[in-house]
Amino acid sequence: MDYDVIIVGGGVNGTGTARDCAMRGLRVLLLEKADFGVGASGNSSGMIHGGIRYMLSDRHVTELACRDSGYIQRIAPHLLFRIPFLMPFASRKEGATLREKAVFYATEVYVGTYDLYQPLKRGKPSTRLDAEELYALEPGLRPGLHGAVTLDEWGIDAFRLCLLNALAARGHGAELRTWTEARRLLVEGGRVRGVRWRDALTGEEGEARAPVVFNASGAWSPAFARRAGAEVPMRPGKGVHLTLDRRYSSYGVICSAVDGRQMFLMPHENESIIGTTDDDYYGDPDDLEATHDEVEYLVEGVASLVPGVRDARVTRAWCGLRTTLYAYGPTEDALSREHQLLDGAGDGVAGLLSLIGGKLASYRAQSQEATDRIEQLLGRPVTPCRTHEVPLPGGDEVPDPVALAREFPVAPPVAARLVYRHGSRSREILAMVREDPRLGLVLCRDEAILAAEVVYCCRREEVRRLQDLRRRCRLAVGGCGGLDCARVGAQLAGRTLSWTADQVHAELADLLDQGWRDRRPVLDGAQLAQEELLRGAHGLSELT
Amino acid sequence: VTAPLEADVLVVGGGMAGAVAALAAREAGARVVLVRRSPGATALSSGAVGVAPGAAGRDAPLAALRGPVEAAQAHALRHPDHPYAVVGAALGALPEALAFAARALPLLVPALDRPRVLATPLGGAAAAALCQRSQASGDLLAARGPVAVCGFRGHLAFDAGLVAAGLARTARRGGPEAFAVEVDLPFDDPAARPHELARGLDAPGAAERLGEAVGAALRGRGAGVALMAPVLGLDGAARAAERVAAAAGLAVAETLSDVPSVPGLRLQAALEAALRAGGVEVVTGALAGPAIPGALVEVAGRVIRARAWVLASGRYVGGGLARRGTLREPALGLAVQAAEGREAGVHLALRPAASLTVRDRRAPQPLLSAGLRVDARLRPLDDGGRPVHPRLLAAGAVVGGHEQATDGTGLGVAILTGWLAGRAAAGGIA
Repeated sequence: MDYDVIIVGGGVNGTGTARDCAMRGLRVLLLEKADFGVGASGNSSGMIHGGIRYMLSDRHVTELACRDSGYIQRIAPHLLFRIPFLMPFASRKEGATLREKAVFYATEVYVGTYDLYQPLKRGKPSTRLDAEELYALEPGLRPGLHGAVTLDEWGIDAFRLCLLNALAARGHGAELRTWTEARRLLVEGGRVRGVRWRDALTGEEGEARAPVVFNASGAWSPAFARRAGAEVPMRPGKGVHLTLDRRYSSYGVICSAVDGRQMFLMPHENESIIGTTDDDYYGDPDDLEATHDEVEYLVEGVASLVPGVRDARVTRAWCGLRTTLYAYGPTEDALSREHQLLDGAGDGVAGLLSLIGGKLASYRAQSQEATDRIEQLLGRPVTPCRTHEVPLPGGDEVPDPVALAREFPVAPPVAARLVYRHGSRSREILAMVREDPRLGLVLCRDEAILAAEVVYCCRREEVRRLQDLRRRCRLAVGGCGGLDCARVGAQLAGRTLSWTADQVHAELADLLDQGWRDRRPVLDGAQLAQEELLRGAHGLSELT
Repeated sequence: VTAPLEADVLVVGGGMAGAVAALAAREAGARVVLVRRSPGATALSSGAVGVAPGAAGRDAPLAALRGPVEAAQAHALRHPDHPYAVVGAALGALPEALAFAARALPLLVPALDRPRVLATPLGGAAAAALCQRSQASGDLLAARGPVAVCGFRGHLAFDAGLVAAGLARTARRGGPEAFAVEVDLPFDDPAARPHELARGLDAPGAAERLGEAVGAALRGRGAGVALMAPVLGLDGAARAAERVAAAAGLAVAETLSDVPSVPGLRLQAALEAALRAGGVEVVTGALAGPAIPGALVEVAGRVIRARAWVLASGRYVGGGLARRGTLREPALGLAVQAAEGREAGVHLALRPAASLTVRDRRAPQPLLSAGLRVDARLRPLDDGGRPVHPRLLAAGAVVGGHEQATDGTGLGVAILTGWLAGRAAAGGIA
């Protein structure tokens, strides 16, 4: 056998499990059909939250999530940021009814109960705000609110979280193959023998052999398992988010949608995010696109509390599929957020282990559980897990950006973004600038992407396609859609990865295609003018 | 209270279409006021004037490309919603309109019977009818000898190797051979942005030092032309490109530009200079409230009256069209009802953005080609299909049915419709 375990899927569970397995000494191959985090992980709300939503139905999920949120802060301190939320007390008419007052009180008690878990994740306890305090904090809220209660949560760049887990796994000997699809399971005599794969970029095909295959391919996992005759029951739920071009509020705001569902507007990195929908999805996971209805639903929900959001610039709509456990009957929101490990032995595919459900915030615990099971399936003793103690790459130290800007020839805001994305490894990138001042070119003023960062990501962070840089360093995802950075980014990546001129052109076109998919449902106002500019600048009128 | 500014023609918009309309009306003897909110979107163009793509097929020789007029006629046949088709027989005036623009804007060289094929900053090629003098020697159909793509050592934004490799693909279609060299910038600023480089080269001596470096790097290499990043001077009067060429002892040309566009800024500056020289009164400000030709309008505190109007306010970037849930023409409240392709439908202005676009980014997108519907005389039509006003005309990107930023016809449409509308608005005055 070539490997002990083949992991299918480069989302947070696949990469997290790859890291854990590799740290425990297993020989690991990770196959990802596109790039790290492109499914549910990267398209989640980007929060390491404690799952207050699930406190009533799955209190266990809440505790697990809070505890692990604390661990993730320990191993990737640079990648997390605090998001204080406001849960405003809103009534439909002037003066709250008795019933509404009871709801406000219940909310306070509910959030107060959540406070019990907050210390697990260094969260601050909740505070009751009166109306005056509320408007002092967020003057953009609609008039007539009765106050609010606060709620502390943490945000994260989920794409980089997946990447860091993958890089850590690589550091412990795992082999990573992105843009490589696991086509089918090799099964002999009711036992898994490995996987047949195909490289989507080179067309190369091959077989990798291992006694255990861990199926962590999210929304794609039922189809993958079914090809080998195993069932993975799932009820996929589509979740759509919108991105605004700037931080539209200082605090997260919990709102109620037109149908009473809870949703939010929150500051996240340099932008604000509105989320989210939750609807059953029956289509092909590869065809997922946000619709006009979903965009309107989200904007309307936030506008009920933050009316000005109607004038905000929505720069993209993006979506993913929750891999929720199958149940017939409950509405989408009421489905359990628990996770489940399914053993293929019952379906005659021993050695196949599938993971469904679960939360981003609990990925590490889920990975630990999966790795324990993988060791058992291999017939080995379960060895200690250390993924909550050992820092992820770059997570050993968070350098002070101002000090870095004094030490290296970059501006402090550039250093700050670099530290956010790369932690202690920012020093390596800045050393490249010191050695070659050309690499100090700032490609994107929104995201402060340094030429050196592009080169570094291409060399060290498993970049195979230009669009991977969207997820490594946010190339062409900002409000300009790549107007400034896309061509120069393509040139740098092409030079670093020795692409031909044809490849550079094709990769640039592919990068712009990705952005177009996200912007199509939201082209309005200034974003529409931006689109016109972007299309003009990127040479669609060239001779073909 | 000052007396109203009386004019024969009021032009709204200060980009290529508005400027050509104003100058054409002036030439016909009209008194012209041009109102604009800011410099037009022409400042963001590649710097050359594409009239029509003139595609001859993927691998066809470059020499088989159609000339501008023939290409525009072919484009009109294939695209019935395009302004070239809508104006009907008036398309025949295209050569005259192009000649007029080249006369009015001395930084442009006149059109030829064939297109000029110019390199893009990524090593592609695009057809242009008119181009700036600083771009003309880069015409791949005219290069005598190989093209030497000159990058600046220490400057990452222009990758000479990649441009040369890209041009090598064009060589298979009859274009010249290409190779890349690097030369030193005459000043030390490795992370400079395009306009900063351009301003640096305007300074006395800088272009000469660059030219000497280019000459030295290419001595004995038999290059027909040195092709450089589109940053050869911001100030047209400083003639940086010519100074580089003189010092290099060889033809020098810029590639086309993406955004930010130094050649685009030069083109915009040339429009301003032409308006001044042509005696067009320019007022900066927005029209306050809808009005019709003949009525008094107020702009930035000035009251203006003109019997004919030309609306040349551009598309989304120019601000001639806006969308906030629905599509609008903000200046006069005209109906937005023209777009390319069947997907547009009759209720174009009201439809969701997603249903006015298609998945394939490179396909025509009705949302991006939306604008006013006009008759063959360029009069905007109301939703009943009647002209809104007998002396209200439209020109340029505010007219729908073509995606001016991407279909290779944008500035060609601006020049043709600007020239036609300007003359029509001035009609019967002289």
